[in-house]
Amino acid sequence: MKNLEELKRIRDRVKKNLQMRSGKHKVRIVVCMATCGIAAGARQTMNTLADLIGKSNRDDIAITTSGCAGFCEQEPMIQIYIEDKEPVVYGKVDLKAAEEIFEKHILNGQIVERYLFSKGK
Amino acid sequence: MKDLADHLFDILENSVTAGATEVRIMLGLSSKRFFCKIKDNGRGIENEDVTDPFVTSRKERKVGLGLPLLKKTAENTNGFLRISRLEGNGTFMEFETDISHIDAKPFGDLAKVFVDALRSWPEVDFEVLIDREKGKNEQVLNTKEIRDTMDCSDIQHKEIQDFVYKSIDKELKKIGINTQFGKF
Repeated sequence: MKNLEELKRIRDRVKKNLQMRSGKHKVRIVVCMATCGIAAGARQTMNTLADLIGKSNRDDIAITTSGCAGFCEQEPMIQIYIEDKEPVVYGKVDLKAAEEIFEKHILNGQIVERYLFSKGK
Repeated sequence: MKDLADHLFDILENSVTAGATEVRIMLGLSSKRFFCKIKDNGRGIENEDVTDPFVTSRKERKVGLGLPLLKKTAENTNGFLRISRLEGNGTFMEFETDISHIDAKPFGDLAKVFVDALRSWPEVDFEVLIDREKGKNEQVLNTKEIRDTMDCSDIQHKEIQDFVYKSIDKELKKIGINTQFGKF
């Protein structure tokens, strides 16, 4: 890659900013990304969430992907793991839902019943 | 699947699910035909027709639609999808689609696919090459190099991902691949 030097400079800048805060992830968002999820728009959902994380200036929220959960008709599905809390699964998370869930659940700890699929393990 | 970007991400997911640690992707556009070649070192396919929707390795359901859908997308525009098992392990696949065809799907945001892949599977080596004229390839992404220079948690940072996105997108645009259709 020819831009590696520039990337290193950005890394150093990012690292400097990060050192001022604690590094651990407290919230983990998992987006289901099998064929069913992708066809239902899970990539847009993931990108919206990533943008929201960026805008919120929180560095303790991580986003990852998983495979098919077996409820393809509920896609796009996301699971939210918040430290010391039961995991929550949401279904049919389109862009609007993603914004609402991020705002209410992830930032303020309120479960959004409208999109709720299941609670607990 | 809305666009080719969705298809591409779906194939990358197949590679990762098959346990691939190295995935090499080559993209190109040659007189209105978009082509994509992907090579991975995953488990490889069994001797079965993976473009049959009723053949799948997943346990949750008895259908697998990723490759059948891609095959349809390609063939609708007089293109093709070919998949073969590499000697030893791994899979090689290529597809081609005529982007000027009335039934062609838009590209979608192809550069974003690779950022999504980097974010989703930071431990996998993705190498992306763009085919320039006369078989000259240019490497636009090498996630191994990125990982060698920083930790996985740095990769999650938006500023890093934006930079990677922009540098791939710029190169794709140079060969006429934009987020909508190709340059005619």
